Amino acid sequence: MFYKLMLFWLHNPQVGELTLIGAVPAEALWKGVTSVSNAGRKRGRGKGVGKKIAKNLNRGQIIGVGKDNIIWPGLTVPVIRGRELVQQQKLPEDPEREKKLIKLRDDMGHFRPLKLSPIERGWSGTKMPGRSIGPPDPVGEETFEGFDTKVLELKSVFNMEGNMGRRRQISAFVVTGNKNGSAGIALGKAAEAKVALRKAKNRAGQKLLYIEIFNNHTVYHDFFCQFGKTKIFVTKKPEGYGLVCHRAIKTSCEVIGIKDLYAKVEGPTNLQHIVKAFLIGLLQQKTHQMLAEEKKLHVVEFRKENDYFPTVVASPPICRKQAQVKPYEVMDYTQYALGDRVFLRKKKEPPFFTKLPSWENYLKKAQYTRNRNKVKVSLLAEYGQVQSFYAEKYPECVQGYRRPQETVAE
Amino acid sequence: MAVRKVLSQRDLINMFCRSCNMLFRVKCASEMKTVRSLANQTAAGERDPAPLFFNSNVQQLLKKLTRMDLRTIFRTKRYGAPLKAPEYKFMTTEELDAVMKGAEEKAEKKLQMPPVIKARSEEPEVLSSDYELQGHSEAKFIFTDITFGSSDRERIMVVRDTNGVLRKATREERYRMNETYFPQPGRSIRMPHMFEKEYLERLLDQRSYEFVLDRACLQFEPDDPMYQDVTATTYEAVDRAQHYSALRSTRHFGPFAFHLAWNRSIDSLLLDLIQTDRLDEAVALIQLYHIVNPEARSVSANFEPGLEHKFIQAYVESDSKKRNVLELALQANEELHKQRAETEAGILRAHGNT
Repeated sequence: MFYKLMLFWLHNPQVGELTLIGAVPAEALWKGVTSVSNAGRKRGRGKGVGKKIAKNLNRGQIIGVGKDNIIWPGLTVPVIRGRELVQQQKLPEDPEREKKLIKLRDDMGHFRPLKLSPIERGWSGTKMPGRSIGPPDPVGEETFEGFDTKVLELKSVFNMEGNMGRRRQISAFVVTGNKNGSAGIALGKAAEAKVALRKAKNRAGQKLLYIEIFNNHTVYHDFFCQFGKTKIFVTKKPEGYGLVCHRAIKTSCEVIGIKDLYAKVEGPTNLQHIVKAFLIGLLQQKTHQMLAEEKKLHVVEFRKENDYFPTVVASPPICRKQAQVKPYEVMDYTQYALGDRVFLRKKKEPPFFTKLPSWENYLKKAQYTRNRNKVKVSLLAEYGQVQSFYAEKYPECVQGYRRPQETVAE
Repeated sequence: MAVRKVLSQRDLINMFCRSCNMLFRVKCASEMKTVRSLANQTAAGERDPAPLFFNSNVQQLLKKLTRMDLRTIFRTKRYGAPLKAPEYKFMTTEELDAVMKGAEEKAEKKLQMPPVIKARSEEPEVLSSDYELQGHSEAKFIFTDITFGSSDRERIMVVRDTNGVLRKATREERYRMNETYFPQPGRSIRMPHMFEKEYLERLLDQRSYEFVLDRACLQFEPDDPMYQDVTATTYEAVDRAQHYSALRSTRHFGPFAFHLAWNRSIDSLLLDLIQTDRLDEAVALIQLYHIVNPEARSVSANFEPGLEHKFIQAYVESDSKKRNVLELALQANEELHKQRAETEAGILRAHGNT
């Protein structure tokens, strides 16, 4: 592109003026800098091209007229007016001029990209994935009250057809739910993104599933789930833990009504596979009652915050006796719920720098600071500020102390 | 004597500094505004509550009044630590019963009452007066036996004063040295500000009774006058506001009930028990009152099972300070029992059993 724009200025000594060879109008130059060739566009180059990114500051400005209101004979006014020669002269400043210019520039419009409020924002910028698109449209008398739909994927897909050739479509993958256990996923395709989203949303409303949520905040037990080669390991978490998982799982959990969970995805991270695997896992969960009936044993809960007081959460109609429990039976709740699978929990290696001699050095040097924060807090509680117990006797040992300035006798 | 003298120069300096600190603390404590008047303390100090409190009959009555409710004892308590996901176990009925029994034992341990004892006198025993040592130093020396195995209360501690007197350490000195050599987690050397009058009042207004009492148990020895002040203030606040459920099924209800009986102010609690139809507990409370105050006028009344109203009536008539209110409540309760009996008889009759 660069050679096209190269301009050759030659000096003609006979004429005594500059000649431009291969002169190109300004518009073409501007386009050359800012646009991208058709072939380049197909390869995905220049995605930001075409947007107006700058304002033409030359508009409304005339050569010779500036901030200082000066008359330039021959440039802004004729040299001779009547029979008099006009002199170069400074007139009083025109305050309106600056304002007019600013107004003209404002009228050219803002070119800032569309900004969303943090509440409506999706996973990234102004992109659709992660954004909410409202409840599915009502079908007859049935309305989807309390439902919300979130976009999980919005991408263009292509299909080769005999007579049409390469046909481009937009594919939208969404999840809808009422935050109380009802949820559905669906894929919608259309030539327009808006239509694809609407299709997907309404289809999701027709394919609702019911998911059991434990105590209205998390899953019933740890579980493993798989779709294709995408494997997910889900761990039950206490209240306040939050959703620590892939963003697609997080968004799905938000509309389902799950608030606390940890999930690790292993294998391919195809988004649709992740969501499908996760939903399969949720549906295959067993409630406490189901487990109690399967095992014919009581399910007893122990919570640390209740000092491990045994609470029976589910009981079978007839409980087995101790003698009926076989010695090889799986009695561990988590192991049983996982179907004898065991999560590989890798030991976290200490960081490399802890092996360096400088780390030892640092530890030795920083050792005296180890209790500083605690001491600071206790001093703040004791005195309301960081000060020693000697402060009453020696005020100079208080933080921020300034020696009073001695008054000089005159 | 197994006194470990630490004689290196650095330690001597340390000791010197510590004793300085201690002097400072003693000074501060004396200047600090105590919550209740001293006159009240001396009045209570004349009788020793310990033999009464540890009496097995009294302990039984106090346990009955505490009302062991496992749900309340094991209620959710969050201490700021991050929560953990609950654990689950499959259990047979036998295993479940065993676990529940274990929980009950644990609950009993959790309900162990802090002792109610007399405040310790401040006069330390003088071991020897060596006035030839007068002015040996500008600070007193404390010698602490830090041998392994002796408890904080039994540990030998002696003080050489600047005037040459060798004496046993005072309560304050003992507390300080114990805290220096054997610090207890959660206990601070200086008294936390929350036990000062203005902050304590604010806490009691917020109904944080259990928090105050728990912290007092942690911070003070039971024979510390400050402990007795704080607990008495809290008990009185609970009684005044009639927030008995805030202390019920905690280890503090026993000492609270004992405090009320000791100070002859059981009437509000008795009213609450009658109104909530807990006559067995009302009887226990009056029995406790009789044991603690043998000079009471209704002491001669004997309780016979089934005649709760009569027993309570005897107390209300001769010893209560809120006679009118209590009598009304008692009458209403009697009426209630009568109606209940009539209904039951009616049901039996309807079923054909006369």
